[in-house]
Amino acid sequence: MENNVEKYIENLKSQFHQNSDFASRLFVCQKGKIGFVFLKSMSDPILFSQCIYLPIQSFDGQITKQNLIDKILKNSGVETVQEEKVFAEILDGKVIVFSDFFEGFISVDITKYPTRTPSEPPTSPVIQGPREGFVEDFKTNITLLRRRIHSKDLVFKMMTVGSHTKTKVILSYIDGVADSGVIKELEEKIGKIKINGVVDSYYILSYLEKRPNSLFKQIGNSEKPDVVVSKMLEGKVAIIVDNSPIVLTVPFILMEDMQSSNDYYTNHHYSSVVRFIRMCGLLIAIVAPGFYLALQLFHYNILPLNFLITIADTTQGLPFTPFLEILFIFLLFQILYEVSLRLPSYLGLATSVVGALILGDTGVKAGLISPPGVIITALAKIALYTVPEQQSQITVLQIVFIILGGSLGVLGIVTGFVYVVNYLNTLDDYKTPYLAPYAPRVKEDLKDALLKSSITEKHSLPKSFPTGKRGAK
Amino acid sequence: MKSISARQSGIIVFLTILANKILVLPSAMYEKSKTDSIFALIAIFAFELLVLACFFALKKAYPEQNLKEILSKKMGCVAAKVIIFAFLIFFLFKTMLTYAVLYVYLKDLVYQDEFGFLALVCLFPVVNHAVVCGLRAMGRTFELFYYIVLVGVLFCLCIAFFTNISMPNFFVASPLEIFHSGFRHIFAFGDYLVLFLFIDKIKLKKGEEKKIFLFALVGIILVLAIFIIFYAKYQVTAFMHNNALADLLVFSVQFNAIGRLDIIAMLTIMTLGLFQLEIFQAAFCESFVQIFDKLSVKYGVIVFDILFLVIYLVLIKKYEIMLSFATDYLVYFAILTNIVLPVLIYVLSRRHKKETYDEKND
Repeated sequence: MENNVEKYIENLKSQFHQNSDFASRLFVCQKGKIGFVFLKSMSDPILFSQCIYLPIQSFDGQITKQNLIDKILKNSGVETVQEEKVFAEILDGKVIVFSDFFEGFISVDITKYPTRTPSEPPTSPVIQGPREGFVEDFKTNITLLRRRIHSKDLVFKMMTVGSHTKTKVILSYIDGVADSGVIKELEEKIGKIKINGVVDSYYILSYLEKRPNSLFKQIGNSEKPDVVVSKMLEGKVAIIVDNSPIVLTVPFILMEDMQSSNDYYTNHHYSSVVRFIRMCGLLIAIVAPGFYLALQLFHYNILPLNFLITIADTTQGLPFTPFLEILFIFLLFQILYEVSLRLPSYLGLATSVVGALILGDTGVKAGLISPPGVIITALAKIALYTVPEQQSQITVLQIVFIILGGSLGVLGIVTGFVYVVNYLNTLDDYKTPYLAPYAPRVKEDLKDALLKSSITEKHSLPKSFPTGKRGAK
Repeated sequence: MKSISARQSGIIVFLTILANKILVLPSAMYEKSKTDSIFALIAIFAFELLVLACFFALKKAYPEQNLKEILSKKMGCVAAKVIIFAFLIFFLFKTMLTYAVLYVYLKDLVYQDEFGFLALVCLFPVVNHAVVCGLRAMGRTFELFYYIVLVGVLFCLCIAFFTNISMPNFFVASPLEIFHSGFRHIFAFGDYLVLFLFIDKIKLKKGEEKKIFLFALVGIILVLAIFIIFYAKYQVTAFMHNNALADLLVFSVQFNAIGRLDIIAMLTIMTLGLFQLEIFQAAFCESFVQIFDKLSVKYGVIVFDILFLVIYLVLIKKYEIMLSFATDYLVYFAILTNIVLPVLIYVLSRRHKKETYDEKND
């Protein structure tokens, strides 16, 4: 290093492929030269000049490594680092200080990059309760959790994933409450991930699932710190991934998606009713179009006479068979949904008008589709959003049940439903039965399942999945 | 080993008690002994509760071993395999009978036309998948659906009970006729012999036997209630109605706002039928695995499917023939499996108890 400050800067610059955001400064003092290297895009140049360059320039004493650390650089994040960590530190937005008259490197934290301030997540708004949401910056996310759990047992374990992105993945749990077996398994799985880059937490999620090809989600997620904290208090492990506002939680049971953070901030009797409605919504969303088809095609004698007459009247002269009609309406709704997701918000109203009035109303008047078909499909599509976390799964199941109901009748619906439940019962990632606390029945956890008891009745940790205190027994 | 809880075992017992008894059996038994079939039913159920007690005695004596290991210890490997083979045959025909009963119901009341191929297409993959998934997944599924099925059956009974019925006359058949009625339909019983095959997979804590007994009692009470209300509703024409639980609702009130309530019976029967098929096929596959211990359950499923297709589609062809086959020929085989084998197994468990007692005293 000695007498080679310029050469070392050049070397670093070439290693960074002469990047335009690569910045270097040289300071010459009586003892020799001091080099500074950082990335302009990740660090704050003003902070650099005010907290690093100017203090060195105006220092009256002898500049030594110890003086630099103790007296001159007064930032909070000053530390000596080994040469092999220099790249990682620069990439993290830190300034590397080195010289020809002392050994080693000093890293100074002047990181500054654009981050979003925590705001209410668009996917999970609440009427009552905290409105903060996670952001893309992992440090802010850690703060959001730490602020809610004032405990020395709150642990954050950092790991790096992605050969190019070197993304930080943080395992967070409350020591003694989370199960050590689950933590160990997660550490092993994350440690074994071999991937070029991690763009979002979903990339990690696929590696943590025991059946990555399954339709059903096996890992929980949330954008809200209060939800993640309550899960951690129950003994779950949170996984924060840098650059993603979605925090993953493990283990996961289906009942979690039936619960909303709102349930815990309102009267528990009301929460029970809402959860029951949500469950009905889920069933209607999955089965309604298929069941309607089954009744219309195979078991019309069961329908009330007036309804049967209405169906007969409205379906007369339609160009499609009932099966194709429902599929067509379903496709129409799905296209409108996809369009509304991608269109700018100012065009949303236009989409609604085109969708509801022109396509729906005119479609019925033109005799392409029938009003009962539109109502049933719309009902299923709206009911889907009672459990928005399961939206993608329900959409696929809707298609499956339309095919089953249309081709095999009620027997197709029943067998399909039993098949799905049987399959879900084989999912027991992290020793957690997917349909607990109902299958198997865990009596203690029924207090916070479809029916919710008062918060005063909830004293112990859940028994549906492994937790620390139970593991210690 | 993936085991099931006492509650799940109890629900399996509950489901098997209802197997083959809620559709054809009430009318079939009525032909022989009229309303007094109830007494035959009570006698058989009383015996079956004793069989259940035998199971608990065996489980207590051999908490960890499977049936083959227990029998091999006492009778040698060959005899053990012969007995388990008898169970294999029993459950093969039991599954086929359940398919047949369900098929007749679907054809007569639900689809009203030829349905054979469609039934196979619908049921086979689901039943096979459940068996391959294993007993634990199946047990959990049954646990989830238990109350739904129970409410479905109770709903059918209530609707039938509150429409025009009058208490049937009892004591119209001779004891011989009652015996004959029970004897001819014995193949429809003995369903919870499945427990013997899954003995090592059932996790039974001290005192949990009561739980299983309770589920058995609920099942027995429901079957008796179905018989009584069915006979009360149809009286002398009971023999004409082959789908008891569904027929309880057929001539019931039609609610204008929600239409006919047959859909409740339909959903209940389909779910029950599917679960019973899963249990029986799982029992077949378990026997298969215990006989051919180097082969997995998947082979058992394949063998079952082939046997089923050959026997049904090539040899018998008509599903209805299966029903008369069960009452004419399978009766004698059922006596062996339903009576002789449980008694034999009970004797073995007693002997084991005595030996253990003697060893301790020595």
